[in-house]
Amino acid sequence: MRRAAGTGVSHAISPDNLLEALVNGDARALARAISNVERHTDAGRSTLLAIQPHLGRARVVGVTGVPGGGKSTLISRYVRELRRVNKRVGVIAIDPSSPFSGGALLGDRIRMAEHATDEGVFVRSLASRGQAGGLAPTATHIIDLMDAAGWDRIVVETVGTGQGEIDIADAVDVRVVVCATGLGDDVQALKAGILEIADVLVVNKADLPGSTTMVNQLEAMLALRAQEARDVDVCKTTATTGEGVAALAKTIENRLSTGESRKLRSQLRMRRLLAAAAGNLLTRRLCDLDEQWLIEICESLQHGEADLESAADRVLRSGRVSSDD
Amino acid sequence: MSQQPIQLPLPGFEAARVRWQGEYDQQIGAENTRRNRSGVEIQPLYSPADWSGGRYLESLGFPGQVPMTRGIYPSMHRGRSWSQRQLIGLGTPEDYNERLKRILDAGGSAVSLIPCNSVYRGFDADQVDALLLGTCGAVVNSVDDMDTCFDGVDIATLSTAMNDPLPFTLLALLLAVAKRRGVPWSKVTGTSNQSDYISHFVANHMFFRIALPGSRRILVDHIDFAARHLPGWNPVSVVGQHMQQAGATPAEAMGLTLSTAVQYAQDCIARGMDPDTFLPRFTFFFDISISFFEEIAKLRAGRRIWCKLVRERFGARDPRAWRFKFHGQTSGVDLTRQQPLNNISRVTAQAMAGIFGGLQSLHTDAHDEVLSVPTEGAARIAVSTQNILREEAHLTDVIDPLGGSYYVEKLTDDMEEEIRAVMDRIEDAGGMYRAVESGTVQSMIGASALAFQEKVESGEQTIVGVNAYRGEDDLSMRAALSRPRPEVMQAQLERLARYKRGRSMDTVNAGLGDLARSAGSEQDNIYEKVVDAAIAGATHGEIVATLREEMGCGEPLVQV
Amino acid sequence: MTVKRHEPPRVLVTKLGLDGHDRGSRLVAAFLRDAGMEVIYTNPWQEIAAVVQLALQEDVDVIGISSLATDHLLVPKLTRALSEAGLGHVRVVVGGIVPDEDERMLLEAGVSRVFHPGSSRDEIIMEVDGLARHARREGSDDRNGDSDGG
Repeated sequence: MRRAAGTGVSHAISPDNLLEALVNGDARALARAISNVERHTDAGRSTLLAIQPHLGRARVVGVTGVPGGGKSTLISRYVRELRRVNKRVGVIAIDPSSPFSGGALLGDRIRMAEHATDEGVFVRSLASRGQAGGLAPTATHIIDLMDAAGWDRIVVETVGTGQGEIDIADAVDVRVVVCATGLGDDVQALKAGILEIADVLVVNKADLPGSTTMVNQLEAMLALRAQEARDVDVCKTTATTGEGVAALAKTIENRLSTGESRKLRSQLRMRRLLAAAAGNLLTRRLCDLDEQWLIEICESLQHGEADLESAADRVLRSGRVSSDD
Repeated sequence: MSQQPIQLPLPGFEAARVRWQGEYDQQIGAENTRRNRSGVEIQPLYSPADWSGGRYLESLGFPGQVPMTRGIYPSMHRGRSWSQRQLIGLGTPEDYNERLKRILDAGGSAVSLIPCNSVYRGFDADQVDALLLGTCGAVVNSVDDMDTCFDGVDIATLSTAMNDPLPFTLLALLLAVAKRRGVPWSKVTGTSNQSDYISHFVANHMFFRIALPGSRRILVDHIDFAARHLPGWNPVSVVGQHMQQAGATPAEAMGLTLSTAVQYAQDCIARGMDPDTFLPRFTFFFDISISFFEEIAKLRAGRRIWCKLVRERFGARDPRAWRFKFHGQTSGVDLTRQQPLNNISRVTAQAMAGIFGGLQSLHTDAHDEVLSVPTEGAARIAVSTQNILREEAHLTDVIDPLGGSYYVEKLTDDMEEEIRAVMDRIEDAGGMYRAVESGTVQSMIGASALAFQEKVESGEQTIVGVNAYRGEDDLSMRAALSRPRPEVMQAQLERLARYKRGRSMDTVNAGLGDLARSAGSEQDNIYEKVVDAAIAGATHGEIVATLREEMGCGEPLVQV
Repeated sequence: MTVKRHEPPRVLVTKLGLDGHDRGSRLVAAFLRDAGMEVIYTNPWQEIAAVVQLALQEDVDVIGISSLATDHLLVPKLTRALSEAGLGHVRVVVGGIVPDEDERMLLEAGVSRVFHPGSSRDEIIMEVDGLARHARREGSDDRNGDSDGG
């Protein structure tokens, strides 16, 4: 008998069941909750509120690095180490959306093939979807969902090309930056901002000549820093063989267990998130405003009759919503 | 490199040419530049102004003479026709044996063995879903299976193209059979048809079994083993087919293939081998697309480049090393599912291109090959096509009949330029091994694949029956599927189980243990241990698993 | 052609079984992305269980299986496994070389559509987009209880 619609039975999850299933660790509920959050639905927002009491157990590791550095393979090996000690691991793999079409090719799972049937590893591929206010809000929400669902370690993987990573920096507990030997990049060429935020620097492809040089270059760079900024570990790995990964995992674990930096980080994170969320809210608000009034405000800005800050302040305080409501 | 056309002092030539050009432009009006698949611009007419043959000896030569553009042997197909080597492989060893005997009865002496996809992936039949067994090739896992494949056949008189990638377990099983039958290994003749691990890593992932570094070593061990023990066996077939089928243009396919051959030659030289011992055993395998003249030019240019390369770069002194020997297969990628009988015409054009290109061995696809393993009737037509071209159309009565054609010679020069540009790019990337490791080659091919797809989507490239000239499908030509019946495969599985139980596990484990150890030892020849393990009774799957354990499983570089 | 929608469809493009040829699946993944979809791409030789786990975690709408040899014979096992995992709303399409007899079998096993060589880009995009919308509607949380996809 031909089934024109779908392959069979679908167990839809109702909103009430969703929260309960989620905090009980149900993967399907987690997946659905993530989708809701990505799509900014009401169900998503209410779930985020409801999970607040269940947060705080998970430790979050951010991993970034340039394409071709072996970052994905390294993460897969790192996950293997975590699984060895029975940690449940969530992975959020972020790739850019095409600015032209809005679509995305999400291929990070390719390197995670060894965990494909391990129910203790939950991998979610996320497209940046060109969000204003940066990626941080959505990724942070997903981190929280995984936290609430009982995942012990959460790895957030980003491509190291720019702003996105610096946004994510506050949402994670330990920041790992993967450099790779033989990419032709000098340490100098790597974006300064990314190196600034690293807690752990990894020189991957250590089997290639030049890896020791790279380690030396990084350590020299660190030595030039002010005392407070020097607390950075430098590790060598060969992701393809797994060499050095166990040591890297230990290094990360040590940092995760220092509660001090986490609290501080958490505070800072909250502030920045608040600012980002406010930014997003304001952007959406602009769409709701009375069109004519908005034109007047913009013209006054163009003519130099008002400055940006006071204009923004007016928008925030105003109740002048669009009359086509 | 481009040949500079000689400025002809022919009186009136230029005037006549200009007059023709004017009249042509008037008749045609505005038109777009036409380019072939490799990007070479194609003019509407070629004349002595494009190529005039002044440097005949230097750029063409006579057949069998440097630079061999016109052919690698003095008599080419007049002396010995290309071998008609039809691919066979389906179902169980018994099925293979049956088809093999029919081919031999019909007069063939050159055969192929195509194993099942499960074998390609490195598994024994009991390691994969039974639904997939024997549908695309023969299930051969043990020395008993190989013995059955060649039951009642004298392997000493046969030339076998073993379509089995590295670590070449099927050849090892054949050698074990030879030992069993008292046939000296010096009489075992054929080719390791799928020895080109680089092309598999790039464009035929199913065939890529052992990680790159391990593959690199095992290939050289295999070449060395053949040099010492198998005088009748060609251990190297550098395969341009996979890359062209994956979307490389003909010039890219040739350039990449030659670059791969250079890499393998360098690896052998690094091992201390003398080029004159291994280069004569290098053979090549090309896809022949329906871009008729382009293929002819590609193959002629390849012949010329190789001849110069081995002499100048590797200092080969043995003339056998200078000969660019290749097998051609008509390209399945050009065939369509719609109106499948049209494929017979396509294959005919492709075969002609291969013949005019001077191949040594030809496989013509059956018209239903695009659907599954070809039916017998279709396979017969494919063979007849070759016979008709040779004996009715007399295509082989003249050696290199298109030699001297203004178009073909100019195009051969242009294709040589394109091919060399690709080879230079690979050199700049550090050689073929480094270039594929880093993904450079894969990107190149991916871009060409996309470009071709765009041409088809836009209609710029017509495909009859698909984006033009559409019509009703020929209902009567819906191919009957030839798939093994479940009971038959079940019986094969039982046979495998019995075989495994009936051997001395001590002997097998000792063989596999030696094999495993050889992987860690620089001094050992791994292929020698593969053969020993086969003789000790190990199965294909066990040998591959052992090597994968030691050297890593072959993972393709998947780029999005 | 671009798909005009607010939330991009999520499509998995993958291969089962033994064959490794990916020229076709890479082209399809690229043009689905250009049409505005989020395409999750894997290496070949996926196990059924892995595909199901992926579909569940990534909350995909459509799964596209590329098959050039006989690997499509495994697809009914996939559709069954999806159903058993409560993912019956996920649509499955197969692209590649599929003889007519097998096509009938696949459709009966719950595959929504079989694309043969020569299918146009626009055709594929439109079909996948439509299927994704159905899948999303059926799998949404706004229903209570079980929903039968048949």
